[in-house]
Amino acid sequence: MKGNGIEMRGLTVTYASRMGTVNALSGINLTVPSGSVFGFLGPNGAGKTTAMHVLLGFITPTSGHASIFGEDVQGSIARQRIGYLPEHPIAYRFLTGREYLQMAGSLFLLEPTQIKSRAKLLLGQLDLIDAADRRISTYSRGMMQRICLAHTLMSDPDLLILDEPTGGLDPSGRMKIRMMINDLRTRGKTIFFSSHELSEVELMCDSVAILADGEIVAEGKPAALVGEDKSLERYFLRVTGTEKEIGP
Amino acid sequence: MKIRRIITIAKTVWLEALRRKDVYVLLILLGIMIVAVMSLDIFGLGGVVGYVKDVGLLAAWFFGMVVAITISTRQLPDEEKANTIFPLLAKPVTRAELLTGKWAGATVSATIAMLACYLLLAVLVKLKGGAFEGFTFLQCYLLHAWAIGVICAIGILFSTRLNKDAAATLSYVTAGAAFLLIPQIPRIVVNAQCVQRSGLLVLYYIMPHLELFDMRRRMVHDWGPASWSSLLYVMIYGLVLIGLLLVLSWLAYRRKVLSRADLF
Repeated sequence: MKGNGIEMRGLTVTYASRMGTVNALSGINLTVPSGSVFGFLGPNGAGKTTAMHVLLGFITPTSGHASIFGEDVQGSIARQRIGYLPEHPIAYRFLTGREYLQMAGSLFLLEPTQIKSRAKLLLGQLDLIDAADRRISTYSRGMMQRICLAHTLMSDPDLLILDEPTGGLDPSGRMKIRMMINDLRTRGKTIFFSSHELSEVELMCDSVAILADGEIVAEGKPAALVGEDKSLERYFLRVTGTEKEIGP
Repeated sequence: MKIRRIITIAKTVWLEALRRKDVYVLLILLGIMIVAVMSLDIFGLGGVVGYVKDVGLLAAWFFGMVVAITISTRQLPDEEKANTIFPLLAKPVTRAELLTGKWAGATVSATIAMLACYLLLAVLVKLKGGAFEGFTFLQCYLLHAWAIGVICAIGILFSTRLNKDAAATLSYVTAGAAFLLIPQIPRIVVNAQCVQRSGLLVLYYIMPHLELFDMRRRMVHDWGPASWSSLLYVMIYGLVLIGLLLVLSWLAYRRKVLSRADLF
């Protein structure tokens, strides 16, 4: 595969607000190798989603540069290889699950036979076959999350950007998503995801980066970072300065 | 721009219009309105076929405008509010494709809804013992569909930067003015003073002329079909207008920062 999965160099995003200038990201440098599972962590408001939105071309950075497999993120070529699952994803409620997947396939210009077989495969893998022809408005929270993940995977993307993919799911729902991520890892896909479930991150990620107030405060393999803190959770609380908020 | 992506986005708009109840409710209300107005028999005109045609076509124009503005102005704001815009634009879909697809979907949905309205009107006219002349009916519908295309483009333009209520209000004002007030400007301009005159003329030339698409009088008074060359000129004018409005929409939307409302 051409280049690293993700590269961010001096990425800065500032917003003008009524409170003055807000630095959402302050000169971030990050490299995510192709084929790795990378955890992007940080407290709420740290800038994780902003960084993801820059990668997806929703936000133009104030300065710096970001690329995906060597392609600038502002062009639509980079997005040809991305699958994105937003936090609390919502699908078109008036479509059926199958129609929603067909729509994704068409937007990626896949062949109709390919769309049909891929939709069938994903509906099966994510346990949605029985609900495939039901309107999405009748789906439960977990089913909504899974149909959105299937939508994300329709083009068999090389890079998956997942914003809290297991957020708000019950243990069985989380397990299904984790199994799917593991399956994608074995197939050599690059996965870049944010999560507040640090035990999950420790279990699944090759590397992590921790973001606080728009800056990367730690980066490396989870086992190497933890050290004396014994768990990623403790380490996270210490480096993000949130430890004092919860007391001893 | 890939046509298949535009069609896919447009198809989603059609499916939404088809599966939501609001268009059906509007159509039923329109039917009730026409029947009620006809049954009033004002000045003994209730039985006159021309009167039925006049009222029915006016209602069809009103209905077409309401449906076109309702569908077109909600597309982008609803996507942004529900956050469904993010997975959509995370795909290799350009913003130009998104806008064109939304416009095409809204236009076709409103035009099909309007066809139901025209068919209802044709049945009512038939019940009154009259009929529409085939070619004129076709031309009237065609130009009306073109006007719907322009109105949808106006709706899309306003909704790129405004919420759906504000976009709908501005679209009603613009379409209403373009249809009712702008054609009156040449008459007003004769008695206007220098600056006022220039201002009115600028307004006259920059605003869309929706009255050009209106063949109601020809239908009501049975004047027969318009020449196809005139029709062609009006259609070309409509296409240029739609193109300009979509380019303006793209300029307004291409760099719009899309952020989740709950982000900060």
